[in-house]
Amino acid sequence: MAFIELDDIAKSFGSKPALDGVSLAIERGETLAVFGPSGVGKTVLLRLLAGIMEPDRGDIRIGGASLLGVPPERREVAMAFQNFALYPHLTAFENIASPLRARQLDETQMKRRVGEIASLLRIDHVLDHLPRALSNGQKQRTALARSLVRAPAVLLLDDPLRNVDAKLRYEMRLELPRLFKRFGSTALYVTQDYREAMALGDRIAILLDHRLRQLGTPAEIYNHPADQRVARLFGDPPINLLPARVEASGGGATVRLFGQTLALRHRPVPAASGWDCLVGIRPEDVELSSEPIDGTAPFRLRATTPFSVRTALLLAGADGGELIASTTNPPAAETLWARFDLGRAVLFDAATGTAL
Amino acid sequence: MSPFRLLRPFLLLLVGLFFLFPIFWVVLMSFMTDQAIFSSPPSLFFKPTLQNYAALISGHLETGTGTLDVDYMRNLGNSLLLAAGSVIVSLLLGVPAAYAFARFKFRLGENIAFTLLSFRFAPPLLVLLPLQIYFQDLGLYDTYGGLIWVYQLITLPLILWIVRGYFEDASEDIEAAYRLDGHSWFKTFWRIAIPLARPGIAAAALLAFIFAWNNFIFALILGSSAVQPVTVGALAFITASGIHYGQIAAALVLSILPTLVLALYTQRYLVEGLSLGAVKG
Amino acid sequence: MASLTLEKLGKTFGKLRAVGDVDLAIADGEIIGLLGSSGCGKTSTLRMIAGFERISEGTVRIGDRPVNLLPVAARNVAMAFEGYSLYPPLTVAENIAFGLKRRFAKAEVGRKVAEIARLLEIGDILEHYPSAISGGQQQRVSLARALVRQADVYLLDEPMSQLEPQLRAVLRVRIKDWLRRHRMTTVFVTHDQTEAIALADRIAVMDQGALQQFGTSADLLDRPVNLFVAGFVGEPPMNLIEAEVLRRDGRLALAALDRDGRTAFELMLPSAPAGKTIERMLEAGRRITIGFRPQSASLAVDDRRQGAGAPASLTIRGRVVSNEWLGDQSHVGIEAGGLFLIAVTDGRIALAEDGAVTLALRPEALHAFDRETGRALIHGGSIAEAARHAA
Repeated sequence: MAFIELDDIAKSFGSKPALDGVSLAIERGETLAVFGPSGVGKTVLLRLLAGIMEPDRGDIRIGGASLLGVPPERREVAMAFQNFALYPHLTAFENIASPLRARQLDETQMKRRVGEIASLLRIDHVLDHLPRALSNGQKQRTALARSLVRAPAVLLLDDPLRNVDAKLRYEMRLELPRLFKRFGSTALYVTQDYREAMALGDRIAILLDHRLRQLGTPAEIYNHPADQRVARLFGDPPINLLPARVEASGGGATVRLFGQTLALRHRPVPAASGWDCLVGIRPEDVELSSEPIDGTAPFRLRATTPFSVRTALLLAGADGGELIASTTNPPAAETLWARFDLGRAVLFDAATGTAL
Repeated sequence: MSPFRLLRPFLLLLVGLFFLFPIFWVVLMSFMTDQAIFSSPPSLFFKPTLQNYAALISGHLETGTGTLDVDYMRNLGNSLLLAAGSVIVSLLLGVPAAYAFARFKFRLGENIAFTLLSFRFAPPLLVLLPLQIYFQDLGLYDTYGGLIWVYQLITLPLILWIVRGYFEDASEDIEAAYRLDGHSWFKTFWRIAIPLARPGIAAAALLAFIFAWNNFIFALILGSSAVQPVTVGALAFITASGIHYGQIAAALVLSILPTLVLALYTQRYLVEGLSLGAVKG
Repeated sequence: MASLTLEKLGKTFGKLRAVGDVDLAIADGEIIGLLGSSGCGKTSTLRMIAGFERISEGTVRIGDRPVNLLPVAARNVAMAFEGYSLYPPLTVAENIAFGLKRRFAKAEVGRKVAEIARLLEIGDILEHYPSAISGGQQQRVSLARALVRQADVYLLDEPMSQLEPQLRAVLRVRIKDWLRRHRMTTVFVTHDQTEAIALADRIAVMDQGALQQFGTSADLLDRPVNLFVAGFVGEPPMNLIEAEVLRRDGRLALAALDRDGRTAFELMLPSAPAGKTIERMLEAGRRITIGFRPQSASLAVDDRRQGAGAPASLTIRGRVVSNEWLGDQSHVGIEAGGLFLIAVTDGRIALAEDGAVTLALRPEALHAFDRETGRALIHGGSIAEAARHAA
């Protein structure tokens, strides 16, 4: 039995659905990243777990006990909000101490625990400030301290790094896993940044169309995305989705890309002749050469975009199709030739977008 | 510097004088003797006197035909009691109601809210006659309780609608966070919702106080000498022997004072609200 | 399409000097990014160029014309606001076409609107009203409206802050292409340095109202002029370590110091190829901060040493604290002598937590900064510009 279980959860607001039958099982101590585009229901999911809303259908269980109808103050759940939700009329100390006051801890113990968590999150020098006197980064860490101070069994984080400067966001991303582990919390972390999801999640739950589309480890999601949308969402620069037709040919299957006919090994052979699909090739799997490659047409370099480790190259094929490649050593030429490693490519059905 | 820029302070002064002058003149009059008031041409320079205030406070008015006993101080006390009492009752009823309307979506919610607001639409004269009859029957005529109850028609809708707006604007996430910390629904209302809506509550309370204080018709018809507020009590200054402007002016100044003090006191809370609203993630 | 010049530009709000002494010479058709944290003065600078803020000191020239006294409408600038500022009674298409109707024929306007809408992926909401679309869509409409106008200078204030990371990445490439094709002189504001590096020809880094450095992304990454730029530009941020210069057997060595001032580890510098000037700069006892980019470190497990020119590499032994795999790269956190360092490698790397690891650096990857002033002293083997002028 998993620690947290969501059973066919559905929630609508009037005629607008937020979640349409989501089931999840989360192990104790796990950090689950919840990923998806805006409006897909990620925040609603957290609020259902927190008890701020009740589901229209389905069951929520923690440790086997159903939480339906249990008000938020009686659930052993802590939450860090995207816009911090600090109490503006209380000092940072009082904000952090609030969960301890609810449990009527004595003063000395409370001071000690607040002090510990504050120094861990490096805000011990601003504890007597009001929220309006804190920087965004300090506000976010105060909100985190408040959610961690009672060493919660379940920790819900609603994109807590969203409203923080890019620089601080990176630093916090390194600290968070250590914090979760230290307190032994089972955490659900909502994010729209795939890098955060991969860095922080033991597993990632991807929501699309208000439903759970794929659940897996970062490796599974990155290497074997279930849907072309999932493939596009995970990767920067994003995966190339090249429309092509898979043809049966001599016992195997081939596909024609940019004038090259490539064999697909270890792939299902289409029953009928011809199968419209999208060939997903990651930019880092495109091999570039400034020397011509036999049997292939050259590409024209349209634009280069430098990234931290690699450089992305936007290439235009002779037929007008676009290809994005990324490499650590951008070649200087305007005309390039490319080779694709189809072993790592993912095929998607062109009509449904599902992986084959 | 455009010509408008130069003119601006003068224009502002002109507008200010236009609105404030009557009040200024009344305050001056309260310190003038009757001769000074009627002197022609009227002058800003005169020998100030406290006899008007003395007359009011002692209760003996000197008129052309002799002394008149006026219980103005008691009227002031009544006004205070009625206005403060109404506002307190309205706050006790209205603030939780405003919270309920803002936070919980229940059937007929909007209908009930609108009905309560509609009390403000009806002119008081519409309900006065039937009320007078009920009050006599229930023994509420000329009682503080009766008037405070009727004043709810004035004060309660005000509190409800202004405070509801503040609760609706307040972030629900902050209250959700407090409940997740482990506090009950009521504690959240008391410790978080109310403090954060304080400017709205202060503004609404002040407005309600002013409206209750200024009410004339309910006090006139449904009350008598025992509960008479200053609005009705001022009528006594219109005597057979003429109107004592100096004393009326003093009476007016005394009647403005409590409201002025309250406004200055609550001003702090009103301004506070404007800066809290600037919190954004 | 015109050049843009800022000369000693400054802005004071009461007692606060929000912007001071900003000099930027922007060529016609260049794309410039203003980069910095909240409150650094970048938005105030942008607003001064547009004319929404009065200029306290200095001059703004568009082309050769000083525009200090010109009202916004007369400056011929197009601006995309952080707060969108769409016209509520007009549809999205009408909003975008707003500035164009006077100058172009109807058919031409329609074509332009359709083109920019397709580029920014808002083609399906052209007939909607601003109140009916999401924040991210509104932001794109605001951007479309600015990009489609014929102006001398285009000013974009955090133009993609409300968009999801994926959409941002896609649009960035397209927007850059559009700006280039139409040779639009553009200045955009951002706090996201990935965006700045991806989109801009040159980047102006600002901190506390002052211009820190103005250059290409290569300049900022390889030759940061001070500690602020070094630590701000680059993701993950540059590893910065306080150090002391020592002499060991006649050679220079660097002792990396932890927070308590104790030596965490030592790096022996190879016999100086650049000669006496370097030695003078790094005289023994000097207090400096050394830095190296996470991308320039190569990692190896246990005692096997790796990296180009292995014997000449500087090595640091440490313990793996974290290993984040991000698809095409991995970020590895290492603890060495109490100091926390980050290294980035290509693809995936098999390093278990708490395992021993060796980090190797080529001396050319090392930067040195003066600890007191923060100014750069050495980048790799050459002398930093600033230090050269000071020495």
